[in-house]
Formats: sequence, structure tokens, C-alpha cells
Amino acid sequence: MFELCSLASIPLFTDRLLFMTTPPPLTLPMTAQAILAAWVFATVLIGFVGIIWKRNLIMKILSMDVMSTGVIAFYVLVAARGGFLAPIVTGTQAGAYADPVPQAVILTAIVIGFSIQALMLVGVMKLSRDNPTLETSEIEQSNTP
Amino acid sequence: MNTPTIVWIALPLFIGFSSYLLPRSNRFFALGMACVSMAYGLWHIVAPTPLTIELIDNFGVTLVVDGLSGYFVLTNALVTAAVVLYCWQKNKSKFFYTQTVILHGSVNAVFICADLISLYVALEVIGIAAFLLMAYPRSDRAIWVGLRYLFVSNTAMLFYLMGAALVYQTTGVFAFTAVQNAPPAAIALLMIGLFTKGGIFVSGLWLPLTHAEADTPVSAMLSGAVVKTGVFPLVRLALMADNVAPAVQLFSMGTAFLGVTYAIFEKDTKRMLASSTISQMGFVLANPAVAGFYALTHGLAKAVLFLLAGNLPSRKFQMLQRTPMARWQWLAVTIAALSISGMPLLSGFEAKALTVQDLPPTITWVMNLAALGTAIAFAKFIFLPFQLPDKSEKRSAQVGFGCAIGLLLGGLVLASGQHLEIYSLSKVLMALATLATGWAIYGLWLRRGLPKLPTGIERFEHLIGGMSLMLLLLLGMVAA
Repeated sequence: MFELCSLASIPLFTDRLLFMTTPPPLTLPMTAQAILAAWVFATVLIGFVGIIWKRNLIMKILSMDVMSTGVIAFYVLVAARGGFLAPIVTGTQAGAYADPVPQAVILTAIVIGFSIQALMLVGVMKLSRDNPTLETSEIEQSNTP
Repeated sequence: MNTPTIVWIALPLFIGFSSYLLPRSNRFFALGMACVSMAYGLWHIVAPTPLTIELIDNFGVTLVVDGLSGYFVLTNALVTAAVVLYCWQKNKSKFFYTQTVILHGSVNAVFICADLISLYVALEVIGIAAFLLMAYPRSDRAIWVGLRYLFVSNTAMLFYLMGAALVYQTTGVFAFTAVQNAPPAAIALLMIGLFTKGGIFVSGLWLPLTHAEADTPVSAMLSGAVVKTGVFPLVRLALMADNVAPAVQLFSMGTAFLGVTYAIFEKDTKRMLASSTISQMGFVLANPAVAGFYALTHGLAKAVLFLLAGNLPSRKFQMLQRTPMARWQWLAVTIAALSISGMPLLSGFEAKALTVQDLPPTITWVMNLAALGTAIAFAKFIFLPFQLPDKSEKRSAQVGFGCAIGLLLGGLVLASGQHLEIYSLSKVLMALATLATGWAIYGLWLRRGLPKLPTGIERFEHLIGGMSLMLLLLLGMVAA
């Protein structure tokens, strides 16, 4: 869910808000890139802090998802440095294309990320039978020798 | 040259999934796969013609097979073969063999990849396969330990991915060779991921609980082969990139010391072995040029020790001092322990001597001190009592176990003839003196018992928090 939203939202966001007046959008200006990068890093940081701060195991896993959303957005941003049109061969050059390599790479990482999350949530379901509150410190205490 | 490599790397995935269709023969398949890897590894050690396979229009996606990969692949193959033999008569499920073979294949993949993204994928597959093997007993404890492992490693890999993106942003490729020109932030992020995977310094503190609580064959796999998947890329990068090598060397000393301190204070056999794994990873990293040989000797010895420790009557050293083990078990434990402590005539001595050979004198001394610590820690195993086994004991049930131990110890002994040129009077005397001093310290002083080290730092939140501190530390070091 998170990944799909973030993947689509950056080009749309820049398309509508930053380039309303400049007709064919070519590349992101440096300041826009820097601002987007700052938001992306903030997302990663918020997710990371959430992993430590949140006490419930589910919330920790969701925090990790927020962090991975930030990382994915970073790849999308890296891909959009030179332009953000989808590179589709049509015969005429429509504008500056986004770099497809980071997007292809992050697609793999998204798949791996959600399979790991699914696996972890199954583990949490099993644990929740004996630890209904899912407080990490409690689970840890009762399962550490 | 290319085709055998591609077949070999794809084979475990094929075997892993198809062994579900042929459940009766899956252990044969698993053993066969390990033998294929063994042959492949040996081939590249004996005839080191580096082979590079590049993806067409590649963005730096590369596979490199050379002598270094050969040693790591051989380690993985021998450990997997021993684990399969160990489980031969234990009626393990299809699921176990499937995961073992997939884990074996993905570990192999790490040892031949030379770009950041193939490495990422291989490391994540390893994480998943290792988690499934760990959590398979499905007790709350097994699930929690597995979950903790997966969580810590996945968080570290997210940092790693950021680093890979930064490398691509600066250089336009993902190859290891590009790391040379990457910004410091990228290197710090990549290293935090690999440090966590490879159990280096504070980032490796997840390791003792994980390796100690896993099932016996799984612990042997994890400590013998899987942990080296974090170390191998660091070795490759340290050999390729000048901006990585100094930090790796510094942390190798820290790791060797931290691990050995834990190992000396530990009162539980499996936790002690796991702590020693951390310290040995420091030794592997200390001299990247001979890392392959060290990894081989460590992997074989550690797998023997884990397989045997899982079959002793107790996990507490205190109990073991009162309940003698069988003589053959003691003999196997002692050979492996002596090899790790660096006894001349065993391959551990050659590995240690090769490692410290070309290092600057200060680092040599630090490593020798860590070796002294290793001798103290393993004296706990060597000076355990033993007895002749009962005649009535059923021997046939232990054939697979014996074969596994025989294979590993055989490898350890055969490996010891490889570097005869390293033997010199001063080195042999030095090694013997280290051993004697270590045993004396143990016998005179430490045997009466040591205080228990606090384990609070191994709590989950501290592991994640420690990651951020390590990241800052690395950033400071690489940028400096």
C-alpha cells in the first residue's frame, strides 16, 4: 500500500504543484530536488525513530514500513533527477525521461520488502496468542533465556 | 566457462523447489548440491582464473568468481554437506531440506556477486530462508528470535539500500568498483548494512542470542557459513576501495576484542561459540588478502563445535564439568577448539599466521592479544572431562553425525598442508606461548568462575538504537 502510493505520488505532486505554469515539464529544478530529498530523509528518520519509540510490535513493523517507504521514495527521486517522463518509445522525443534503472531496482526491493513484512506479521499473529498485548518488552522478557 | 557458473548458481533454487515433488530423495539432492558446490569451490581455488560475467548493458551488474570466492564457496559447501549428513537419520521434513538448499544457493550467490543490487537480493533471500529455518520449531521463543533477526537485518538493509542509491546517484553504476568514488555518506550507509549482517563490532550483538537459540544444525549453518555473507562483501570492498579499507581494519580489531571478551565471560556453551564467531569475523576482516583461508578454517571448526555442543548433556559449562562426555566427542571438540585457538599443525595456526603476517606491528599485537583471549575462551571446552563410552550404547543412530564430524575435521586437517612456507620457529613458539599463557590464565584464575556480563545491550531496542550510533561513528570515520 504505502509503496504504491509513494511510487506514484512524487511525479504527480511535482507535476501539479511545481510546474503548473511551465508548459512541458522537463527536469526538476535543484531547489525542488533538495526539498523533496529533505522530505524523503525525514520519512526515513521518522520510521527509524518509530521502530525504537513504539512499544507495540505491530506498530514497530509499521514504522519499518514507513522507513522503507522513505527509501523507495528516495529511489524514485534519484530516478527523476534528469526528468520524469516514462521512457516509452514512440518515435518522437516527448521530453526528458526518468532513469528506469533505479525504478526497476526498487521494484525488486518493494517485492522483497512486502514479503518480509508478510512473514513478520505471520510471526506476530503466532506470538499474539500467548502475548495478546504484543508489547515488545514483555515478549522479549518471556522469551530470552 | 560461463555456462557451468550459471548452471551452478541456478541449480540450488531448482533443486530446492523440485525436492518438494520428490520428498523421499530430498536429502540426496541436498547432499548432491553441496558436492557440486564443493567441486566448484575447489576448482576455483586450485585453478584461480578469475571469471567475470557482466549483464549486457549492465549498469554495473556483475558476477566475479576468483580464488577468494572459491574459499568461501568451499566453506559453505562443506558446512552444508555436514549439516545434511548430520540430519540424515533425523527424519527432517521436506521443508527443512528445501530451505537448507535455498539458503545454500543464496549464500553461494553472495560469494560471487560484485555489485550492490545482486548482493542486496541475495542477502534478503538469506534473511528469509534463515528466518524460516530458525522459526520452524514454532515455539514462541523460536518465533521471537527469528523475528528479532529478520527485523534487525531488514532495518540494516534499508540503510544499505539508501547507500546503494547514493552510489548510483554519484557514479551511475551499481558495481563494487564504483564505491571507490562514492560519497562518504554512501559508504557509511553501505557499511552499516554489511556490518549488521556480518556481526561486526556493536552491530553484531544480535548474533549470540540468535545463533545460540537456533536448532543445532541451523546454528552450525548460521555460524559456519551464513554470517560470512556480511563479511565477504566487506572483504571485496576493502580490497577494491581505499576509502573502505581503513575503517574495515579498525573495526576488525574492535570486533575481535568485543567478541572474545564476551566469549571469555560466557557460561553457556552455544552462546560462547556464538560470541567467538563475532571475534573470528574480526580476524577474517583483519587481512582481506587471506580472508578466504581464514573463513574456511573458522567455518569448519565452528560447525564441528556447534554440532557437538548441541549433543552434549547440558549447555552449561558448570554442568559439563561434572558430567563427562564420550571420548570421541571430547577428541573432536578438542581438535576444533585447538584449531581455532591457533595450535601449530592444524589449519587454524596457518590462517592466524597468514593473517598477522603483513599487518602493521600495532595491529599485529592487538590481534595476538585477541588470539590469547581465544585460547582462554576455548580452554573451557578443552579442559572438560571425558570417559570411555558404554558398550551398550547404540552406535548405528550416530553414523550420520559421525560422518558430518569426520567430513569437517577431515577438511580442517587437509587444509593445514596448504601453506607450509608459513612455518617458522618464532611463529610456532609464539603460537605455543599464546596457548600456554591462555590455558594458565584459565586454569589458575578464571576456572573458579567469572561474573556474568549484563545482556541488556542485546535487547531489541538497543540493537536498533546501536545501529544509529554506529552509523554516526562510521560517517565520522569515513568523512575524516
